[in-house]
Amino acid sequence: MSKLTISEEDFRKFREFFYRKTGIQFDGGKRYFVDKRLIERIEATGSESFRSYFTMLRFQASGEELQALTNAMTVNETYFFREEYQFECLVNSILPEIVKTKKPGSTIRIWSIPSSSGEEPYSIALYLTEFWKGIDSWDVELISSDIDTDILNKARNGKYSQRSIQHLPKDLLQRHFHKTGDGDYQISDDFRAAVEFTRVNLAEPADTRPYRGFDVIFCRNLLIYFDDLSRQKAAEVFFDALNPGGFICLGHSESMSRITSLFRVRKFPEAIVYQKPEAR
Amino acid sequence: MSTPQKRILVVDDAATVRMYHRSILEGAGFEVTEAINGIEALEKALTRPFDLYLVDINMPKQDGYAFLRELRKQDIPQTPAIMISTESESRDRSLAYVAGANLYLVKPIKPHELLANCRLLLGLAGGAE
Amino acid sequence: MAFVKRSQTTTVGQDERGYSRDFEGLCAELEAPNPTARRWAARDLAAHPGAAQVLIARLEVEPDAAVREAIMISLTEIGDAVTVQGLVKCLRSEDASLRNEAIEAMKHLPDTVAPVMAGLLADPEPDIRIFAVNVLESLRHPDVEQWLIEVISEDAHINVCATAVDLLGEVGTEAAVGPLEALKRRFPAEPYIEFAADLALRRIRDEG
Repeated sequence: MSKLTISEEDFRKFREFFYRKTGIQFDGGKRYFVDKRLIERIEATGSESFRSYFTMLRFQASGEELQALTNAMTVNETYFFREEYQFECLVNSILPEIVKTKKPGSTIRIWSIPSSSGEEPYSIALYLTEFWKGIDSWDVELISSDIDTDILNKARNGKYSQRSIQHLPKDLLQRHFHKTGDGDYQISDDFRAAVEFTRVNLAEPADTRPYRGFDVIFCRNLLIYFDDLSRQKAAEVFFDALNPGGFICLGHSESMSRITSLFRVRKFPEAIVYQKPEAR
Repeated sequence: MSTPQKRILVVDDAATVRMYHRSILEGAGFEVTEAINGIEALEKALTRPFDLYLVDINMPKQDGYAFLRELRKQDIPQTPAIMISTESESRDRSLAYVAGANLYLVKPIKPHELLANCRLLLGLAGGAE
Repeated sequence: MAFVKRSQTTTVGQDERGYSRDFEGLCAELEAPNPTARRWAARDLAAHPGAAQVLIARLEVEPDAAVREAIMISLTEIGDAVTVQGLVKCLRSEDASLRNEAIEAMKHLPDTVAPVMAGLLADPEPDIRIFAVNVLESLRHPDVEQWLIEVISEDAHINVCATAVDLLGEVGTEAAVGPLEALKRRFPAEPYIEFAADLALRRIRDEG
């Protein structure tokens, strides 16, 4: 059992610091959760007390511990239709605005990063197929990238556990997946062929330079784990990758307010997203 | 209170300043929300409009002027806004009004000064003291 | 289904990267009419250690916010004494966004900012002293608390002290207790100072 405790003022001080750094706000109801994670990190780093841990967190040159703590404070799991309101926003608000500016016959380009094991790009493909009428009249190019080649192979294979697909509507699951011998579900070949999986390191200009001309970028729950400067540089990459007027969607606990003022805040009925300004 | 509670957005990068304003305004029965810079303020304002904005000028990522200009462009153009700065020179004052502020206050602000001006802009009794 | 795949092709146009990418070419491109070209030049100049001077000069006249942001990132990566000098100059700008961008860039440069910090905190302009305290907000340097204690002990301007006392709520230790008490006595009729100093004191005393 741990003897470490987090006092009320410690909690408040930490809460303000974490909010300034990440934009995530914990209210008093999260106290138990926050204390538990903090104590875990204090012990993991061999710190003597909250005070010494907090000083390290605040002054550490590498910023590593802030990243480790952010990881502990957020649930970073991926599954089909996670944060579904953003896909609703895509088909109901974003794409209708995009197609207004497009010539018939041109292609709508979407970039999903990080691909992880593929749940997000496939969710986009499923959503467009099922819920967007425009899919009959527009070509869509869907590219999904990750830094990890192993996870990309897993994504290309498109095989998922029950836990990954639990939020998918039954009829959709039946139409587009088949059950494999070991009880998993594999997405149909049509969808596996619909997504182009590529390896990209966002911090490597030679990797990101070819990524241009996108209309929408999904980058959810990634930038929050980067340090300040890396985040800002990633935002620059996205700025270059987007067409003027193009949109970027971040995760629900992320905000451009901690990263950059390059993008405009746009409020749609379903979500807040960010838009690259039109060329002046 | 017979009238619905007025909602105020306090925009300042300094946590202590936000807490100070919150304690004064909540003590007078207002509902307070905080934002750390102009971008976060805009996200909150567009999600659910406020009755009054209390905006610092110097903030990282997006300053108070840029926030007000964008707010006035995107919607709710008639919502009153108070600009707050540590600088008292007239250049900041005029820039604040050009950006769309209704009032310009200089830090440090005394509680009665803050409350009187908020009430005034909200059209509540007790505005002028 | 209407999903299509194209082979990945590099689509960087000639207009963006038309000049040679050596130092002179990039400096010329930093003046190009196309803002995208200027952003690319600003970014590629980060690889040239001597580029701070030319980037700072461009910053002062650059109208495009996206180009300015790219210049700031490159300056942060170069981070030499020339960079810091240039950023200090930006603190005196009439342009609030330029000032704030300079403050943010300086937060990332503890080792090169530290030697000029004492001078900034003694600047005759209270605004400059406030901006210097703003830099300390996220500066990862062991002297941050000491600088803040000196400010609240010596600075005559209430708003400089007010900005410093806010940060002491986060980084203050026992060493700040006496100076915080003294600050309250120095500005007895100021509710904000009392509020902020009491908050900082509560946090320091409450800790294990």
